Amino acid sequence: MISMRLLGKLIWYALLVALVVVMLAPIAWMLSTSFKPETEIATIDVHWIPRTFTLDNYQRVFDRFNILRWTLNSLIVSTGATLLVLLLDSLAGYALARMQFAGRGVIFAVILSMLFVPMQITVVPLFLMFSKLNLTDTYLALILPVGANVTGVFLMRQFFLNIPYELEDAARVDGASTLRIWWSVVLPLARPALTAVAIVTFLSTWNSFFWPLIATRTDASRTLPVGIAQFMSLRPGQAQGAQAYGQAMAGAVLAAMPPIVVFYMLQRYFIEGISMTGIKG
Amino acid sequence: MRVLPRPRTSAVASTASGMGHLYSRWTPYLFLLPYLLAFLTFRLGPSLFGLGMSFTRWSIVGSPEWIGTANYELMRIDPRLDAALKNTAFFTGLTVPLLVVLSLALAIFLNQPHKGRALGRVAAFTPYVLMSTVVGVLWTWILEKDFGLLNAYLNKLGIGGLPWLVSQDVALYGIILTTVWWTVGYGMVLFLAGLQDIPAELYEAARIDGAGPLHLLRHITLPLLAPTTFVVLMLTLINSFQVFDQVYVMTSGGPGTSTLTLVQYIYTTAFQNLRMGYGAAVATLLFGILIVFALIQAYLYRRGIRGVAS
Repeated sequence: MISMRLLGKLIWYALLVALVVVMLAPIAWMLSTSFKPETEIATIDVHWIPRTFTLDNYQRVFDRFNILRWTLNSLIVSTGATLLVLLLDSLAGYALARMQFAGRGVIFAVILSMLFVPMQITVVPLFLMFSKLNLTDTYLALILPVGANVTGVFLMRQFFLNIPYELEDAARVDGASTLRIWWSVVLPLARPALTAVAIVTFLSTWNSFFWPLIATRTDASRTLPVGIAQFMSLRPGQAQGAQAYGQAMAGAVLAAMPPIVVFYMLQRYFIEGISMTGIKG
Repeated sequence: MRVLPRPRTSAVASTASGMGHLYSRWTPYLFLLPYLLAFLTFRLGPSLFGLGMSFTRWSIVGSPEWIGTANYELMRIDPRLDAALKNTAFFTGLTVPLLVVLSLALAIFLNQPHKGRALGRVAAFTPYVLMSTVVGVLWTWILEKDFGLLNAYLNKLGIGGLPWLVSQDVALYGIILTTVWWTVGYGMVLFLAGLQDIPAELYEAARIDGAGPLHLLRHITLPLLAPTTFVVLMLTLINSFQVFDQVYVMTSGGPGTSTLTLVQYIYTTAFQNLRMGYGAAVATLLFGILIVFALIQAYLYRRGIRGVAS
């Protein structure tokens, strides 16, 4: 009986090692390649530790690509979009959850119905609209459409539904205005919901690719995902030189490390956040 | 998506507060206004406009020309659209079951009370933290025909490498492999959350009755995870049907049309060939397909509830 248990445990640990290797090996390989010279990249032998350690690939990335600018753009756009969503959605969610007015049900239903409409259908008109306004390739073109997200409003509304009425009523008796109640009574209570919406919005904007690919033309507004795509998609499907791969891995490492580090520090919140909202980060 | 608390009905809300009249008539609309403006301008408006555009011929220069249902008639005989639909269906048909089964298996595996499971969870979720284009660039290199890591090991094992992304026959498999590696941790997290909601007493009671591990899996774990499985299934289904980023980076739909997917085709049509009207029509087709999924989902969900109740 005990030996059966031991055997089971051994198998479990063997599988665990296999799992960790399969999931992390590609990332380790990315790191390894990024530090290799061209000659070592184009070889059939597998060397996990580079024989000659070089920073040439990183040097080339910084010389040829504006990766710092892409990162800065991504930070500005993601932060801007998150603040916009927090403001719009907490106002709208509050009205939808706590106020009585004509058309409330219809408005909420129309908002929710957009959950089923893929954003791909909006990109052609959005592109034409921003082109007409001469706003393509600007931060505004990347930030403003995020303000129309549906899930944030839904989450805020659901949260507000469950705040006890007594707190608001007390403030109202004290003569506070509705805006005042929203700001100083309701929002502080809604911190968990605001945090969840902020994390989800920031991550989805940070990772967003389709619309930024269409809306950006130059490094002035190009975000990190769009920039990284340039490493490979210049001649997609075709064999590329070893230099291209070394450089691409260096760029990928630079883009991948900050999120991985943040994830390892905050993994509990990430995983809790996802299981709470079920929303694709 | 865990089941959220049931919203109070408005009647309950107003009696509970008893103060529903203390704000002016226009206050609710003022609170809604900023969001609704964004919603109308960037979501509802463009969606309807896109629908309208699908009945026009419109290159980015010049003005739109109303051509009725010509775009939709063209879609019926467009071989590239045909390829895109088939590829997207094939991608979805393989990716979704793989993701659901593997992420469920991972969750059950990493829910065992052994030391080190936290490491496994973090490792399995790590790829999902990467942005899509980093994953695309990385796997283009791993799947490289001559010097890629995967072929190096396949050769070592004597299986022999495959021309992953450069052959029409296997390119789509390369993208499926990449996608499964990238997103399996996401489903796992949802399943792990579902597993925490199963009361431990159920297992204890069954064990006292002499149930073995397989019996527990079949009669407790899997049935009680059904709602989570449903959510994971629907989310991966919808995401798979809209696959784009990896494809764009790794193959741009090639070689030939072997990895052309619906969204890749929308992108190429509207923004590279500048056929905005036809691109909008293909996007409308995608919308139609997703609506069908949503209806099936609603139907199954309702049946599921009735099934549990009876």
